[in-house]
Amino acid sequence: MLAEFGTDAMPIAGGTDLMPNMKHRLFTPAHVVALKGIRAMRGIEVVEGPGAGTGTRAPGTGTALRIGALETLADVAANPLVRHHFPGLAAAAGLVAGPQLRNMGTIGGNVCLDTRCTYYNQTRFWRSALGYCLKKDGTVCHVTGVGKKCVAAHSADTPPNLIALGANLTLAGPHGERVMDASDFFVTDGIWNTRRAPDEIVTGVTIPIARNRRSAYGKLRQRNSIDFPLLSVAVVGDFGETGTVKRLTGVVSALGARPRVLAGWSDLAVGGQLDGATIDALAARAHAQCRPLDNLIVDAEWRRAMVPVYVRRALEELTVS
Amino acid sequence: MEVVRLRVNGDERVCGVPAHYTLLETLRYGLGLTGSKQGCDKGDCGACTVIMDGRAILSCITPVWEAEGREVRTVEGLAEGTEPHPVQDEFDLNGAAQCGFCTPGILCSSVALLDRNPAPTREEIRAALAGNLCRCTGYAKIYDAVEAAATRLGGEVRGPEPDEPAPEATPVERVGA
Amino acid sequence: MSSRDAAGRVGARDVARRATGPDARETVRPGDALSTIGRPMRKVDGLAKATGRARYTDDIRLPGMLHGKILRSPHPHARILAIDTSRAEALEGVHAVVTGRDMPTRYGIIPWTPDEYPLCVDRVRYIGDGVAAVAAVDEDTAIAALDLIDVAYEELPAYLDPHEAIAADSGPYIHEPRKPGWNGNVTKVVNLEFGDVEAGLGDSHVVVEGDYFFEGTTHTPIEPHCAIGLAEGNGKLTVWSATQVPHYLHRELARVLEVDPAQVRVIQPPVGGAFGGKSEPFDLEFCVARLSMMTGRPVKILYTREEVFYSHRGRHPFHMRYRTGASRDGMLTSVDADIVMDGGAYASFGLVTTYYAGQLLTAPYRMPAYRFHSTRAYTNKPACGPKRGHGSVQPRFAFEVQLDRIAEKLDIDPIELRRRNFIGANTRTVNDLRITSNGFLECLDEVERASAWKRKHRRLPFGRGVGVAGSTYITGTNYPIYPNDMPQSGIQLQVDRSGRVAVFSGASEIGQGVDSMVAYIVAEELGVPLDHVRVLAGDTDFTPVDLGAYSSRVTFMLGNACIDAARKLKAQVQEAVAAEWGVKPREVLLAGGLAVRAGDTGTSMPVRDAFNLAESAVGTLGATGWYNTPKDVHGDYRGATIGASPAFSFTAHVAEVEVDVETGFVTVDRIWIAHDCGRALNPVLVAGQMEGSAYMGFAEALMEEQIFKSEDQGRVGLHNAPSLLDYRIPTSLDTPALESLIVESIDPEGPYGAKEAGEGPLHPSIPAIANAIYDAVGVRMDSLPFSPPRVWRALRSVGR
Ligand SMILES: Cc1cc2nc3c(=O)[nH]c(=O)nc-3n(C[C@H](O)[C@H](O)[C@H](O)COP(=O)(O)OP(=O)(O)OC[C@H]3O[C@@H](n4cnc5c(N)ncnc54)[C@H](O)[C@@H]3O)c2cc1C
Ligand code: SF4
Ligand code: FES
Ligand code: FES
Repeated sequence: MLAEFGTDAMPIAGGTDLMPNMKHRLFTPAHVVALKGIRAMRGIEVVEGPGAGTGTRAPGTGTALRIGALETLADVAANPLVRHHFPGLAAAAGLVAGPQLRNMGTIGGNVCLDTRCTYYNQTRFWRSALGYCLKKDGTVCHVTGVGKKCVAAHSADTPPNLIALGANLTLAGPHGERVMDASDFFVTDGIWNTRRAPDEIVTGVTIPIARNRRSAYGKLRQRNSIDFPLLSVAVVGDFGETGTVKRLTGVVSALGARPRVLAGWSDLAVGGQLDGATIDALAARAHAQCRPLDNLIVDAEWRRAMVPVYVRRALEELTVS
Repeated sequence: MEVVRLRVNGDERVCGVPAHYTLLETLRYGLGLTGSKQGCDKGDCGACTVIMDGRAILSCITPVWEAEGREVRTVEGLAEGTEPHPVQDEFDLNGAAQCGFCTPGILCSSVALLDRNPAPTREEIRAALAGNLCRCTGYAKIYDAVEAAATRLGGEVRGPEPDEPAPEATPVERVGA
Repeated sequence: MSSRDAAGRVGARDVARRATGPDARETVRPGDALSTIGRPMRKVDGLAKATGRARYTDDIRLPGMLHGKILRSPHPHARILAIDTSRAEALEGVHAVVTGRDMPTRYGIIPWTPDEYPLCVDRVRYIGDGVAAVAAVDEDTAIAALDLIDVAYEELPAYLDPHEAIAADSGPYIHEPRKPGWNGNVTKVVNLEFGDVEAGLGDSHVVVEGDYFFEGTTHTPIEPHCAIGLAEGNGKLTVWSATQVPHYLHRELARVLEVDPAQVRVIQPPVGGAFGGKSEPFDLEFCVARLSMMTGRPVKILYTREEVFYSHRGRHPFHMRYRTGASRDGMLTSVDADIVMDGGAYASFGLVTTYYAGQLLTAPYRMPAYRFHSTRAYTNKPACGPKRGHGSVQPRFAFEVQLDRIAEKLDIDPIELRRRNFIGANTRTVNDLRITSNGFLECLDEVERASAWKRKHRRLPFGRGVGVAGSTYITGTNYPIYPNDMPQSGIQLQVDRSGRVAVFSGASEIGQGVDSMVAYIVAEELGVPLDHVRVLAGDTDFTPVDLGAYSSRVTFMLGNACIDAARKLKAQVQEAVAAEWGVKPREVLLAGGLAVRAGDTGTSMPVRDAFNLAESAVGTLGATGWYNTPKDVHGDYRGATIGASPAFSFTAHVAEVEVDVETGFVTVDRIWIAHDCGRALNPVLVAGQMEGSAYMGFAEALMEEQIFKSEDQGRVGLHNAPSLLDYRIPTSLDTPALESLIVESIDPEGPYGAKEAGEGPLHPSIPAIANAIYDAVGVRMDSLPFSPPRVWRALRSVGR
C-alpha cells in the first residue's frame, strides 16, 4: 500500500503524533494507511534462538523480548515482562504524554515520532506569520540562524531506552524485511531523522534479555504529565556478582535530532563499583557531551545543566537493586 | 463524504461525514452527541475523552474510521436509563463540575478507571485524570467525587442523615438555548 | 440516592470555622433560622453538566447554519493598504465576506477608551488581529476562502517592551494620540497620593525597596469562544455567545451594527469557563451578526484554541517598584509604588486596570501614607484585560513579599506582622474606601492553626518552607461601566398555580453557580422545595438587566435583588394567608413547602395553596427585585469611585513547598486557603471557588507565561506558544492539595451576609509561594513565574 501511493501515503498507528501534525498541515498525505489491523505487529513475547539478541553491542543469551510495533504504550508500561526485564523502558512508556495518549499511541509510532521544534509544531497561520522554516515550507532554520540543517529535537521517550538496551528494530517494506540496530536507526537530520524509507514500516522491536542487567530512565519536563521530554536519560548496566560493572551504556535525548550514546563511559566504569565518585565522573562526562539548542521554548542553558543531574539520578537508581 | 458505521452507547449508527472527520467531529456534528467537548482539537486537553473498547481515548485525534467496529461510550452513555452513573451523581453532589466543560471528558476517564480498578487510591485517581485539564476546580472536588462514587459502586451506599433535607436538582433552562 | 449524607459530608469538611467562633457551624446564631442557605446543595445545573445535556454555544446547531472564519494579521504592526476579497467571494460555497470597512464604528468596553473595530479598518496592531471574515457552507470552505483574501500591508515598527513604547517621542504610535503632542502609546496614567509618603518613609525604622516583575498570563478557559448570529427578515437580530457580559454585548452590537437595540437579543448559553476572558465584546460576535445580516442565514464562529490565545485580555505584565516603610514594631508607615503595565494592542478594561493597580492595595492593612504611579502602555501584542483578580493580583504579589522582607528584617513572625497592621472592620482605607465586615484576623488564625505554622516557619529542613500572604478583593464595582443610575442587577419572579416559581435572571452562569444561588434564595424565602424553582437565565429578551459576571459582583448584587423580589412576593402571600386565618401577616411563615402560623404548627397549608390565595387576592403573582450600590462608600477625588465596592472579601493563605535545589523544581505540597466570604450560601460552591482560585494562582506562580517572540527569535510579536501543550496549565499531578477554610463575617449589606469568593482567594497564592520558597532556600523570587529554570538561576546567583 505504502509503496503504491509513494510519498502521498503515510502509515498511521495510534495517530497521536500524525493527527496533530496533519492538523498543523505539517503533513498533508493524500492517503493514510492504517496499521492497526495488522495482527503480526502485535504481541509482547519472549523469543529464542538466532535472531534474538543480535544487537551488536549486546550479545545476549539468545533470549529476547519481542514487542509488536502496534502495542500501545499503556500496554508496554504495564506488561509484567517489560517491567521485569526492562524497568527503564517500562518507566519511559509510562511517562509518555498522558493516560489517554498512552492508550492510543504505539511503541512503533513512538520510535518513528517526528522531531519537534518550537518553530515547527505550530499551526499553519503561526508558521506563515513566522515565515516558515527549513523543515517545512521555508528556507532558514530559526534555531541556528542559517539554512543548512534542521536541529529539531528527537522527543520520543522509548528510543533512548531501546538503544541503551541494544534492541533491534524490524522493518518491512516493498523489498522485504530488514533488521536494524536501534542505535543505527536515527540520523542527525531533523527533517527526517531515521533510516526508515517512507515506504517501510517498523513491525516490531526485539530486546535482548540478560541476567543482572539493570536499567533506569529519567525524564525532564515541567509538568508531571502530558509534556514531551526536555531532556531524557536512559541508562543500562550489566553487573557482576559482587556488583562490579561489566557494561554500562547511557543514552541522552531530546536535545538534537538523534539520541546520543554517551561516549567514554566504559573506561570510567567497567571493572569497578558504581559508587558516588564514579557516578559523578560519568555525569560530568555526559555534561561535556551535551549542548542543547533553543529548539524548545525552555531555557537551553538550564536543560544542559540538568544533564549531569539527571544522569546521576538515573545511575543512582541502578545502584538500588 | 464517507459513510461510517459506529457503535455508540450501544446503538448502531450510520452517518455520512467528510473523510477527514475525527471521531469527535462525527459525534458532535454528525450524530448530534454534543456531550463530548472540544477544547483544543489536537490532543492537549482531554475535553474530548471518550471510552473506546473500555479505554479512555482522545476523540479529537482519532480518525473516525478508527472507531468503526469498536465500542464507543460517551458521557451520554454513562447513565443507566434514568439513573445517572454514580460518578455523575457524585460530581453533582460534590460540586465537581463548575463550568462543566471538562466534565464529560473527566467522567469518561473516571468511569474507564473505575471499570478496571473499582477501588482506586487518590494517587491512582490523580494519575488516571492526568490527561484531563480542568481550569475551574483545582481538581480537589473531582477526586472527592470519584472516591465517593467508588465507595458507592463498592456497595457501601451511605444512608441519609436524618436532619438534612434532601436537596434535589431542579432543571435550569437557558431560555431559547 | 445518597444525596443527603454525601452533601452533608462535604459541608462538614469544607466549613472549618466561622468568624464568630471555633465551632460556629454547630452554633445557631440568633435570627439564623435558615433552611436552604448555608447548606450543601446540589447545583441546579449539576446533573445537566454531568450527563452531557447542558448545551454550550458550540452545541447549538440551527437549520441552514453557515460557518465563519476570521482572517488574522500575520504582522505585529502594519497599515492595511488594500483588501481584495473578490477571489474569496467567488469560491463555491462562500456566502459572504466582511471586512473592517463594513463595520467602521469604534468600540471598547470602557466608554472613554473606544479604540477597537470589530475588524481592523486601516491598521493591524498585533499578530492575530482580525482583518476579514468569511461565512461559508462549512468550515473547510471558510478556511479555504481565507487563503483567497488578498491583503496588502505596509509594515510599521513594532513595540514589544512597554518602557520603549512609553519612551517613544514620535509616531507612528500604536494608536492616534488623543490630543496633539501626546504619546499614542500610552493608554492611561494614574498618579495618586494619600498622606505624606516621603515623610512617612523618612520616619520609618526600616524601608524595604524592591523591583518585581509579574509575567502576563491568560485565562485559558477550556471552552473556546463561540458565537452564533441569526438575523431575521423582520429586523430581529439574535446572537448566542459564550460571554460573561450579555448586557454590554447587547449595547455594543446595537451601536456598532447600527441596529435598534430593541431588535437585538443576546442569549448566553452555559459558558465553559471564562475567568474574565469573555467579559467584553469580541470580533467573532460582531462578525457572526454582520455575516448573518448579509446572508439571512445563521452563522457560527468557533475560535480555535490558537485564536483564544490571540483574543487574550488576560493578566497584564507588570513592572513594579515598591518602597515600604515600617516602624520598629512592624507598623506600616508608608508605601510608595511605581508600576508600568504592558497593555497590549488595545485598551480593553485598561483604564480601570491602571487604577486597580494601586487602588486595591489599601486593605487589609492600615497604611498611614500611600502613593502610586501607574502607567499602562500599548504594545503590539494581544490586548491585556481583566483576569480573575483584575489589576490587583500583581501588586499584591509584590506587596506581600515586601511584608515578608520587613518581617524578616524586624524579626517578627510574618503572621504576627500582618495581625499588627490589621485595618479592622467598619473603617475607611487611606484612599477612602469604605470597609464594612472584615474577617481577616480569623483568616490568619485559621491558616496559622491548620498549617501548623508555628512548628514549621523557619523550622523546616533546608529545601522545605512555608509562606503566608493576605489579601482583599472587591465584591463588585460600585459603578457600572457606563454611567447611569439604574440598578446594577435586576431579577423577576413569576409564580405558577402549581407552586412552581420561575426566576428570570439576567446574570451569567459561567460555572460559578449563580443560577443555583438564586434558586437557593427563592427556596429559602418562599419555602418552596428547590425542585419547584426554575431558573431561566441569560437571555436579554426575557430577563431584567444584570451587568455581567465580572468583578465578583453577582452573588452580592443579584443575590440582594433576588431577596428583594422574593420578599415582595412573600409579603403578598403572607397578607393573603393572614387574611384567611385572621392573623397578622408577620405571623405567617413560609417554610418546608408550607405556609405555617408562627408558634402554631397545627395551622398550615401547602405553600401552593398560599400562592393561589394570594393570586386570588391580588391577581397574577410576580415580583421584580433590584439592587443598586450605596454611593457613600468612597472619597471624592478624581478616580475615587474606581475600586469602591459595597463590601470587601479577605483571604489568607499558607503554602508549603519543597524546592529541589539542584534542578529548581518547586513542588507546592499544600495550600491552606482561609477566606472571609461573608456567608457561604452553599459551602460546597464557596470551597470550589476557593480551590479553583488558589489553583489558578498556583498555576501563575509556577508555570504560566503568555509571552511573545522577539526579532532574534524569528518574529517580533509572535505568540511564543499558542497551544494548551506549550502554554502549560497544571494537570492533576501538578496541583497541590488544597484545603479550604471558610470564614464568615456576615456582611451587613450582603445577601444573608454574603460577599464574594470567586476572585479574592487567588491573590495570596502567589506571594505565599514566593515567601515559602524563601523560607525553604533563602532565595527571593521577585519575578514570575517561579519555573524551574528561573528558580535554578536564582539559586545559582546566590551560589547554591
Ligand atoms: C499532547 C501530547 C503529548 C505527547 N507527549 C509525548 C511524550 O511525552 N513523549 C513521547 O514520546 N511522545 C509524546 N507524544 C507523542 C505520541 O503520543 C507518542 O510518541 C506516540 O507513541 C506516537 O505513537 P502513535 O502510534 O500514536 O504514532 P502515529 O501518530 O500513528 O505515528 C507517528 C509517526 O510514525 C509513523 N509511524 C507510526 N507507526 C509506524 C510504524 N509502525 N512504522 C513506520 N512508521 C510508523 C507515522 O507515519 C507518523 O509519521 C505526545 C503527543 C501529544 C499529542
Ligand atoms: S530546528 Fe530549524 S529547521 Fe528544524 S524545525 Fe526548528 S526552526 Fe525548523
Ligand atoms: S479536544 Fe481533544 S484533547 Fe483537547
Ligand atoms: S469545571 Fe470548568 S474546566 Fe473543569
